[in-house]
Order: sequence, then structure tokens, then C-alpha cells
Amino acid sequence: MRIGKKFSIIAILGLLLVLVLSACQQTAAPATEAPPAQPTAAAAQPTEPPPAPTAEPVTIQVYYPVAVDAPIADILKGYADKFHAENPNITVEPVFSGGYGDVQTAIQTIIDGGGEPPALGVMLATSLYDLVNADAIAPLDDYINGMDNGKAYMDDFVPAFMENSKYDGKTWSIPFQRSAVVMYYNKDMFKQAGLDAPDSWQAWADAAQKLTVKNGDTTNWGLQFPSGWPYWLFQPLAIGNGQNIFNNDCQVAFNDPKVVEAVQFYIDLSHKYEAMPKGVQAVWPSAPTDFASGATAMIVHSSGSLNGILEQANFDVGVMPYPGKEAGTFASVPGGGNFYILKGAPQEKRDAAWKFIEFVTQPEFVADYSIATGYIPNRQSAFDTDAMKAYLEKTPQMMDAFNALQYAGAELSLQDLGEVRSIFHDYLQKAYNDEMSAQDAMDAAQKDAEAAMKPFCE
Amino acid sequence: MRNTSSTLKPNRNHPLPYLLILPTLIFVALFTAWPTLLSIYQSFFRQRLNIARFRQPTFIGLENYTSLFTDDRFHQVVKNTLIYALGTVPISIVLGFLFALLVNRKLRGIGWARLAFFHPALLPMVSAATVWKFFFTPDYGLFNSTIRFLGYNGAENWTGNPGLALLAIMLVAMWKNAGYYMLFYLAGLQNLPTDVYEAAALDGANGWQSLWRITFPLLRRTTVFISTIAFIDAFRTVDHIFVLTSGGPSRASTVLLYYLWQLRFENQNIGLAAALTVLFVAVLLIFTITNFVISEREGA
Repeated sequence: MRIGKKFSIIAILGLLLVLVLSACQQTAAPATEAPPAQPTAAAAQPTEPPPAPTAEPVTIQVYYPVAVDAPIADILKGYADKFHAENPNITVEPVFSGGYGDVQTAIQTIIDGGGEPPALGVMLATSLYDLVNADAIAPLDDYINGMDNGKAYMDDFVPAFMENSKYDGKTWSIPFQRSAVVMYYNKDMFKQAGLDAPDSWQAWADAAQKLTVKNGDTTNWGLQFPSGWPYWLFQPLAIGNGQNIFNNDCQVAFNDPKVVEAVQFYIDLSHKYEAMPKGVQAVWPSAPTDFASGATAMIVHSSGSLNGILEQANFDVGVMPYPGKEAGTFASVPGGGNFYILKGAPQEKRDAAWKFIEFVTQPEFVADYSIATGYIPNRQSAFDTDAMKAYLEKTPQMMDAFNALQYAGAELSLQDLGEVRSIFHDYLQKAYNDEMSAQDAMDAAQKDAEAAMKPFCE
Repeated sequence: MRNTSSTLKPNRNHPLPYLLILPTLIFVALFTAWPTLLSIYQSFFRQRLNIARFRQPTFIGLENYTSLFTDDRFHQVVKNTLIYALGTVPISIVLGFLFALLVNRKLRGIGWARLAFFHPALLPMVSAATVWKFFFTPDYGLFNSTIRFLGYNGAENWTGNPGLALLAIMLVAMWKNAGYYMLFYLAGLQNLPTDVYEAAALDGANGWQSLWRITFPLLRRTTVFISTIAFIDAFRTVDHIFVLTSGGPSRASTVLLYYLWQLRFENQNIGLAAALTVLFVAVLLIFTITNFVISEREGA
């Protein structure tokens, strides 16, 4: 009996020891993870010329989100392998981390807990101010200036995609998977109705009205305008009226008369023209399907939905920027994620991360990523590659999406983004749902947003 | 007799019982007690990760609590949460009980009926909500087609209308939870002694009387248990809100935990989020303790 008890105590203590040790091992793991990768590198070395002799082998992680319907994991793994073949002493491990918000949360949590963040993260371009203020990311200027052709490299990026990369005179991120807000229209329906692609708010509203068909209990709407999470798709309305919803990182323009007029235009489309459903339309996932099946003549959506729509639609799909208020004006807004280098990673890992950024922003890779995912090529030189030329031959709509960017304003990105965006959403939806007038709602949004941003900007 | 008393007598010199609960204790301390204490501590500080000069915490006393209590958004969120909890908890418990009565019989294919009621509980909330998102599609969604078929004229914008969005997420929660609670009631029903019912039948009790006077009281402990987990569930499920409404339109379907997520991860306001966490934990603790105290006092 006594022996049995002693034995069980020892057994429990042993079990606890194992638990504690395994916990310790897990925290220590990142430091000792390199060896497993070595055998392959060692096996490859004899046949290949020795790599750059100065560098020690490093392993870096890239935290990335999946925000589109494409095999992002496989694609990134392929790029990491190709990169490793060219740089045998650097191993890149892509780490899937959920949606954009999850990536930022995961990285933030590591930093808060005093751990070592991954060297590289793909996060929203608009997260810039939050990341800089949290002291989470490192500026990239030294890397860019250290390149042989740094200026030419940067100038090659599509200007609209660089709008949210600069702050405090420094460059903080490099465009990676970028999209834009566009308007999809059913060219066959337009032709049948004798309509041209709209080039003004008036023409847009008229076309939507004309293409709205009552169909018994249901309606085939002329236009669907998702507004469950509304700022992004709303922005081109304001930009198309000559005023973005913010002026700089400390100044919103929610109650600018032109922005209020844009809110009113959204309301008029349903109330005055009866060309789309009334109120908030929480239809982000169903709108592309409705459009592709011909249940609606036009939708506004992300350019990222292009591939899915083209696969399903059996009619001629048109892609264009939003028509602006005045005839001949247009508008769009970019979206999507950039590469950020995390400050908390050691120097050699950050250097390796920059090498990987340079590697995957080569024109061939930009073209390949765009073709495989539906994201818009983020560098102009990608359009000179044979692969991209062949793809555009088949899919001219991708060129239309790219061309929409010349009318783009900056995506909402400012101090205290999360809070200000929530405030804007609350009041914009109140206006959409007739709970407040457009003017009252935007006045209230302006007031609340200014109060929220005060501690950031005083 | 001697033997029994010696084993029942607590002996302070025996470390074994303490060692046995030690692993659990470590986990509870590490993942429940420590975070709670940390939240209480943090709730007295101003700390905002996205403002450079407020990244380091500064002591501000009760300011986080006062700013919560004077915040209109917080009031609306509390109201939404109460409607959500008081609406979903009783209805899903009643539904669970009815389902259990319905499937607690020996019939061919009853297994399928049980499966049908229970399967929503097996689906991850995100998948369930994604399916419901299409049910709720304005105009032609299954939900609108059904109520139209039942004679209700007009299609409702379930997730876009501020008057309906909260109801929409409540429907999903009830649909998902009722089958889960059914399982507990079913287990309870199958453990009930049959002789009581036979005695009641001999005394001439009808079905309703034996349900109300025998089944229901005998299942009281089950009910207490279910209402506790149901109430806690109502406070901690938010996955379907992310999928269906993002807390909108205009915050109409934002509940406490969703708001907490916004404060902590969107606004990066550590202090305010900690204060909300403390209130949150306090409410749940009070409810759980009251619930168990009442049930223990009434005894069984």
C-alpha cells in the first residue's frame, strides 16, 4: 500500500515534469527549428556551387491571410521553394493565419507577450498607422536605398497601391496582393436595352432603373450594392464626387457636402429610382452569384471576384470603375494586403525577409500571382511578361480592373482606424436605413470621429 | 465501520489528493485565474497600443469604468445582450425539452429524428452561420421564400434591417442550441425510474399530469445545468455575428463579447477592454453562483 502510494506520487511528479519540460521546449522551439531543414540543404550543396559564404542559414516565417478563393497556401509554398533554391541558406516558411484581422492579431499577440514575431507579415495596407504606432514594423528605406536601382524598383509599383505605404517620410510596406473596387455590368443586358456603359451618376441610375425587372414576388434588380460592411464600396461614390472621405491621417471629411451628396445618391438609387433594394444590403457573398446568374444587371464588388464571376457567367462581363457624378468622371479605390517587415525579428531575419520581398515582386512572379489568384498585378512591368500578355488576351477584364485604378483615391487609412471605421459604418448605415438623414448622420459621424481621434492627433 | 471512518477522515499529511488535482489547478490558475487578475489590474490603467504615448500603461483609477458607463454604445450593447440572452436561453431550453419528449420513444427510425434535431449542434458555428447567410438572402432566400409560402407578404431584409438583425442571429443560435440541450434532456428522461409513472398511471394521472408533476420536477437538476451552460453560451458565442451581420447594421446586433473584441483588437484599447472583461466575468460569476446556490438549497 505504502509502496503503491509512493509510486503513484512519483509517477504524478514525473508526469508534471514532462508537462513542464514540453511547455519549455515549445517556447524554445523557434530557436532550434533550423536543423530539420538542414539535411536537404546539405544534400543539395555538393552538387551546387557554394552559396554566399558570409551568411549563416536562417529560417523566416511569413504570416499570411487567405482572403480570396484561390490556393494561396500552395502558391506561396511554391514561391518559398523557388526562393530557397536560389538562396540555399534561407528557408521561408509561409504560415497561414486566418483572415487579415487574424494575422494582425496573431502578430500583435506575439509582440505583446514579449515573443519574437515572424520576420514578415502580409497585412492590410490600411493597417499602416496602427502598426507604426504600436512600434511593430520596421521602415524599409534602408533596404530600398541599398538596392542598385531602388528608385526604379519603387517607381514601377502601381501608384494607387503605394497610397498607404508612406508615413512620417518613410516607406513601411510593399504592395503584394492588391485589388480594387469595380463595377461589374452585364454587357448583353445593356446591349439588349440599347444602353451604353454609364459615364455619370445620372446615366448609372437611369440604366439601373431601366434594367430593374419586377418578376412576380421577386425582383431582378438593376444594381446590387453590398453595404453590410460599407466604407470600402462607398468610398468610390464620394471620390467620384470629387471628395474622399478623409483628407489625411488626422482629418476625416465625413460631413463634407460632397460626401453627404454621395450618401444621398446611394439612398436615391433605391428610393427615387427604385433601381436597387432599399436600406443596408448585407449581400457581399451572394452578389457575385446573383450577377453571374443574371439575377441582377450590375454589382459593385472587389476586382478579386472577377475569376469566380467569369467562371459562372455565360454572358459578356463588363468591368469598369464607378461612374462619377459629372459626365466623363470615374472613381475607384484600392484594397488588399502589403508586405510588412516586423521590427522585433532579428536583423538577419529581417534582411532575409527583404530578399524574399524582392524575389516575389519580380515581374514574372507578380504576373504569376495575379493570374493564379485574380489580384491585380501590383507592378507595371508585370504587364510586359509573356504570361500576363497571354492572360490578358483571354481575360481583357483584368486590364479594365487595372485601368480603373487610374481613377482611384486612397483607401480609408488613418489614426485609430478601427474605431473611426466603426463610427463611420454606424452612421452610414443609419442613413442607408432611413434612421437619420444623410446630413445628420454624417454630421454625427464627423463629430464622433473627431472626438475619437483627439488623443491621437493633439 | 472502523475502516470506512478512517478512509473518510481527511488527513492533512497525505499529499496525494492535492497532487491529483494539481494539474487541473495549474491549468485553471494559468488560463482562468491569472488572466482574470490581470484584467482586473489592467482595467485601472490607460493603455492603448495604437497611440505611441499611451503604449505604456498609466494608472487612471476608475476612469475606464466611468467612460464605459457613460458610453451610449455600451448601453446599446448591454441592451442587445440582454435581449439576446433572455430571448434565446428560455426558448432554446423549451425547444430542447420538447424535442427530447418527441424523440424519447421506441419507434422505427427514431434515430434519424434524433440526428435531425441534434445535427446543428455538431456543425461549427461559422459553417452554420454561412449556411444561414444564404437562408437570409433578401428577396429569394429560403427564409423569405418560406414565410412567403406561409402567406406573409413581402420579403424581409433579415440581416440589413436594424429591427430584424438581432432576431436573425438569435434564430440561428436557437436553431443550433436546441438540439444540443435536447441531448441532456434525453439522457435525463432515459434515466427516470419507470415505477413512478406506473404508480401514477394506477392512480389515474393523465399524460399531462405525469409530465408536469413527475417528469418536470425530476428533471429539475438537468434544467439547472442546461440553463447555466445556455446562459454562459449566450454570452460567449459571437462567431455567427461575424459571419452574418458584423454587429450591424449600426450596431443593432452587437453584443458584449463582439464589442469586447472591437475594443481590444480593432481599437486596441487594452484598459477599456479589460474593464469590460471584468464586468463580463462578474455578471457570469454572479449568475452561475446564484443558479447553483438556489438549486442546492432546494435540494434533490
